[in-house]
Amino acid sequence: MELYEAIHGRRSVRRFKPDPIERDILERVINAAVWAPSGGNAQTWRFVIVTETGRIAKLRTVSPGLLGDPPVVVAVCQDLDAAYDKGSTLGETFLAPVDAAMATQNLILAAYAEGLGSCVIASFHANAVGRLLGLPERVLPMLLVSVGCPDETPQPPWRRTEGVVHYEAFHE
Amino acid sequence: MSSGTLEAKLFDLIGYMATSGRNLVDETPLYGPFRLVDAASRLVRILEEEGIASSRLSTLRERIDAGKYTVMTDAKEFTAFLDRIVDAVVDHMDDAPREGGEDTPNDR
Repeated sequence: MELYEAIHGRRSVRRFKPDPIERDILERVINAAVWAPSGGNAQTWRFVIVTETGRIAKLRTVSPGLLGDPPVVVAVCQDLDAAYDKGSTLGETFLAPVDAAMATQNLILAAYAEGLGSCVIASFHANAVGRLLGLPERVLPMLLVSVGCPDETPQPPWRRTEGVVHYEAFHE
Repeated sequence: MSSGTLEAKLFDLIGYMATSGRNLVDETPLYGPFRLVDAASRLVRILEEEGIASSRLSTLRERIDAGKYTVMTDAKEFTAFLDRIVDAVVDHMDDAPREGGEDTPNDR
């Protein structure tokens, strides 16, 4: 799939078919996330892939932003101790979430290229998600991503361009 | 939210509402009304699955589900959608199911 087609065609999908996702497809999607850039090539992200229906249901209970019944939820996490070791305070407080976001963008574009829908979720209770996934204390979930066969085709949302892009210098 | 006992379904709903309560301390204010109407929709869906919803409750759920995601794209439209939900509540105030669970003829 052509890159711009994926960028412009991807939507946040909140209704999924119950069809399971094949393991090799999932691995390709996660591999795309791992190929994202990271500050100082830190690669301190950690991915927890959840496919068990019961565990996804528990995640949904403590994740108001997790809508629909996706067959897969990926928790994009960061090892904050490793991030600090690699990048000091900047690594832990800034690069960790930014790197997680860049990996997530790769993930959702790759999912789209595989014919899958996805939705990035920030509305969840981090401690509760950490407990449900057995995360070590210093491995924090940054984002959840629901993935599955889309059961809807959302309309493209409005995109603002005026006042967003500035050439050479910022113009009021 | 389609399997399990009624207690389990309500537990999930209460978990959703409690977590929403905590998260809304930090989230965009417009998500507050969204979580409220979404919780209402989830409650009606539970009642439907348990066979104890009415036509007017299902109508409200359908209308909520049809418009709730405008919160992501258009604040004005989302506000207008909430007004329409309240209008629908008023429209159906006199459509209570008769004793025994049968809907009145005005129900849709």
